[in-house]
Amino acid sequence: MAQEKPLLTVENLSVEFTTDSGVVKAVDDISFEVAAGEPVGIVGESGSGKSVTALTLLQLVPDPPGRITSGRIELDGIDILSKSQAEMRQIRGDLASMIFQEPMTALNPVFTIGNQMTEVIRVHRKVSKKQALQLAIQMLDTVNIPSPEKRVKQYPHELSGGQRQRVMIAMALSCDPKLLIADEPSTALDVTVQAQVLKEIHRLQEERNMSMILITHDLGVVAETCKRVIVMYKGKIVEVAETKELFRNPQHPYTRTLLDSVLTLRD
Amino acid sequence: METIQYAIRKLLYSIPLLFGVTLIAFTLMVYFGPDLTYSLLGKSATPEQIESVRKQLGYDQPFLERYLMFLKEVVTFDFGNSISTGEKVSSILARTVPVSFAVALPAFIISNVLGVGLALIAAYHRGKLWDKSVMVFAVVGMSMSYLMIVIAFQVIFSTSYGLNWFPVQGWVDPIPDYIDAGFFETIYYYWYYYWLYVTVPTLTSIFVSLGYNTRFFRAVIVEEMNRDYVRTAKAYGIGNGRIMVKHVLKNAMIPIITRIIISLPFVIIAGNLVLENFFGIPGVGLVTYDAITNGDLPVVKAVVTWTAIIYVFALILTDIAYKLIDPRVSFTK
Repeated sequence: MAQEKPLLTVENLSVEFTTDSGVVKAVDDISFEVAAGEPVGIVGESGSGKSVTALTLLQLVPDPPGRITSGRIELDGIDILSKSQAEMRQIRGDLASMIFQEPMTALNPVFTIGNQMTEVIRVHRKVSKKQALQLAIQMLDTVNIPSPEKRVKQYPHELSGGQRQRVMIAMALSCDPKLLIADEPSTALDVTVQAQVLKEIHRLQEERNMSMILITHDLGVVAETCKRVIVMYKGKIVEVAETKELFRNPQHPYTRTLLDSVLTLRD
Repeated sequence: METIQYAIRKLLYSIPLLFGVTLIAFTLMVYFGPDLTYSLLGKSATPEQIESVRKQLGYDQPFLERYLMFLKEVVTFDFGNSISTGEKVSSILARTVPVSFAVALPAFIISNVLGVGLALIAAYHRGKLWDKSVMVFAVVGMSMSYLMIVIAFQVIFSTSYGLNWFPVQGWVDPIPDYIDAGFFETIYYYWYYYWLYVTVPTLTSIFVSLGYNTRFFRAVIVEEMNRDYVRTAKAYGIGNGRIMVKHVLKNAMIPIITRIIISLPFVIIAGNLVLENFFGIPGVGLVTYDAITNGDLPVVKAVVTWTAIIYVFALILTDIAYKLIDPRVSFTK
């Protein structure tokens, strides 16, 4: 890899939450980079700050109670934290997209798939409703949803969990983002469906040469899809390593514990 | 098609319900309602006179017989004549129901639309100044007695102590015969007097119901705003206004519609009972109020029956509205 400027640079980022029992540092002074076209995994247990990190990248942390206390995020040359919410709206879904954990509830139950997909496309692209629908159908086809012309007229509850997550992926990629943030994209799915959805994400990431941040608590998921892994623990980054290296030779004791927990499950 | 089938099925199911309502209402009227014999005869009546009046009123029949007679009236929608005025009940209703709708409808529509609007604003600015101002206003509106507001509004709008813009009470009279009004003059006349008489009752009614509506709608909307699909919409760059009005509002519509439709019979009948009485509006509320105080059973029976029927229709309408809003609702189960 040539030494070009990374697509995403995060420097000394800290995020605090104000709760009834005082201020909690959800993310504590973390720095990392993601190169263009690189898939990076962030792993850690629940509450380790990985989801908050992801939300912060798009300024989606609810404020209050959340507050970004320090740091800099540069995405494709844009200083994210200096942008207003209105300016962020241009970026969300366009330059960077996000996939969420719960495909059951992440889509709006009272609008059709087509309606929701075209809405996103039309926020970012100047196209007619018809063209947007055409693009939506094309995207559904790309994520291997059978008979997409029929699916766009259906409501989320008429699709299976795996299909819904595919719809989310199609929606996320519909405006050709340079960065895809996938927050536990497979956790809520059946084991067999999990593998399919992950394979899909992996394939699309490689085909489109997108940068990706894959957030998960499952090291197995990371091993299959990511080149580099960031391990987070209690809001701090405890280890960054190439995936192979991490599995072979984990440096931090927490990483070792994490790896052990995976192995015991597999044995 | 499915909808029509469902509506018919629901109507059939509602027949036993209507029987139940009429039975309870009738039992209450017979055992707890007033006995008209003495008020008709006065103090110095002979036992024979009493006997004959009781017979005339049908009081000597056994309960079941009287109930069956009532049922016959219900089925034929013919409730006979009012005891106090002798006018046919059906013609009383035909005269008064439109007036009641004319009074209740503007307030009903405005207070619900305004309630949803204010609730959206309050929910969107949750915890901030806007939210708190709206909620303080709502609580104040809820805490004040209906009667006090009626009097206060009458003083403010209709007396020389206040603005003196509107009449204290009354209702539109037909155009006097000696005036030869053309088409546009007639429309102008009714339009002018309609708003002259309806404005203060409408404002009163809005003031009373707006607080309740806004609080309820706000709670529903705030709950919807915490759903995952809202976060998804945000993460894809959809504007806040659009999220509120399109995504959140449509999802919140189910509880909102339920409340609006279920409140409809209350607003038209019960709400107007007080309102029409205080503003001297000759609507069905005023007639009902008089009928209850005078023991005018035919009128009470008719109003009770019609209310029950409207209620059943309103409930069926609610179910159909659910289906239109939420694709997950199915009629077939």
